[in-house]
Amino acid sequence: MMTAPVGGAKHHQLLPSCSLIACAVALALPVTADAAGTRAGSTISNTATASFDTGGGAQTINSNTVDLRVDELLDVTVDSSDPADVPTTPGATNQLLTFSVTNNGNGEEAFALTTIANAGGDNYDPVVTQIYLDNGDGVFDAGADTPYAPGANDPVLDPDESIRIFVLATTPGTVVDGNRGIVSLNAAAKTGTGVPGAVYAGQGEGGGDAIVGTTGADGRDAGAYVVSAATVSLVKSAIIVDPFGGAEPVPGAEITYTITATVAGSGSVSGLAITDNIPTDTSYVAGSITLGGSGLTDAADADAGDYNGTRVNVTLGTVAGGQTRTVTFKTRIN
Amino acid sequence: MRKLPLLLLAAFAPMQALAADRVDLDNHVFLERVTTDANGRERVLLEEPKVVVPGDRLVFVLNYRNAGAQPADRFVITNPMPAAVRFAGAGDAQPVVSVDGGKQWGLLSALSVTMPDGTRRAAQPADVTHVRWAFDKPIPVGGTGKLMFRGVVK
Repeated sequence: MMTAPVGGAKHHQLLPSCSLIACAVALALPVTADAAGTRAGSTISNTATASFDTGGGAQTINSNTVDLRVDELLDVTVDSSDPADVPTTPGATNQLLTFSVTNNGNGEEAFALTTIANAGGDNYDPVVTQIYLDNGDGVFDAGADTPYAPGANDPVLDPDESIRIFVLATTPGTVVDGNRGIVSLNAAAKTGTGVPGAVYAGQGEGGGDAIVGTTGADGRDAGAYVVSAATVSLVKSAIIVDPFGGAEPVPGAEITYTITATVAGSGSVSGLAITDNIPTDTSYVAGSITLGGSGLTDAADADAGDYNGTRVNVTLGTVAGGQTRTVTFKTRIN
Repeated sequence: MRKLPLLLLAAFAPMQALAADRVDLDNHVFLERVTTDANGRERVLLEEPKVVVPGDRLVFVLNYRNAGAQPADRFVITNPMPAAVRFAGAGDAQPVVSVDGGKQWGLLSALSVTMPDGTRRAAQPADVTHVRWAFDKPIPVGGTGKLMFRGVVK
């Protein structure tokens, strides 16, 4: 075949050995379209010129002009913005999942938002209480962001524009540690959804048609909660040492109480404290409180333990699952 | 396959009316649809572009005819790329192209583009701003021909 500039001898047959269609097949190239592409409603206008000389000097003529109006492609994607499952606890309210919705089409489009919490593949169904539209700062704030009302304030996005969406849900009180609950956010083009290539005649931006793109004009992604709960178990034991070297509970015998708090689960407990009343007919042995083998003073002061005349108290604060705390104190039988 | 000859006939029709001009240049744009038949073979159809969206493949067809009484010498056809279309080849009859708005011309493989940092890189199809066919022999009286190039809607 020829390379340019092509010779006039073959000018009448630039595609001599194959039809236009066959050549097109042979030359098929992979295509990557721009993110959103040419704006819907804009015009592609093509005109060629020919210059030549028939003996009277150079002349230039224009071809006819072909104008094509670009139609609107309907495409949307939804992405979960949470890097991992969002921790929650049984019965917790206003648990936050974050998504982004992006208009991948080439026209301004409104999108209807819905959530799906009962699609299965998890351990429980979170109860979605409200969807919020971000005010642009990317951070959820119930006072500043807009509660979503379907049909009333469906987000309208320009081509390539994204909006952050917040989904709030309540975690049922019956869930247990490690349970997962999935919520999917769905965004559907208001003009219409369907199989790729479906046409909504005359409904595109700029007066053209609207065509469903590869996403079906319907995007969805899943976010998930994971229940992170903890349980506390206390075990109390006593060792008696009597004045005679034995272990009889006689007057004057000293009783060492050991209380072990064990926290289990993937979560943690906060505000944990161990309190024990001194039994009647016994007397607290001053300065005998220990926590993890270290002595604590009886005064209510900077350390975690105190004795107030009737009970021993040791404040443990927040303890993560898998840890134990051991408290001991002594009494003497009257 | 049956559609194309009909379309091309239609393309030629207005030329007859313009026979008073010395050279007719007729411009048509088709939409290329690739479908796969039941046997897995790809079929390419050229259609009138009723619906056009980003990513669509267009075939630009230029039909020329020397309708005058003298041979047309130094015959050059130039087609500026529409801004919203990315050049995607021109078949085996490689035209010369410009990647700088028509200042310099050459085969795409011979052209380069200056980067913002001053370095140069090889020109890509997406850089093409103009497509040009230059004939080194005159078009005889009554001579006709067809040129094509392809583009993708940005």
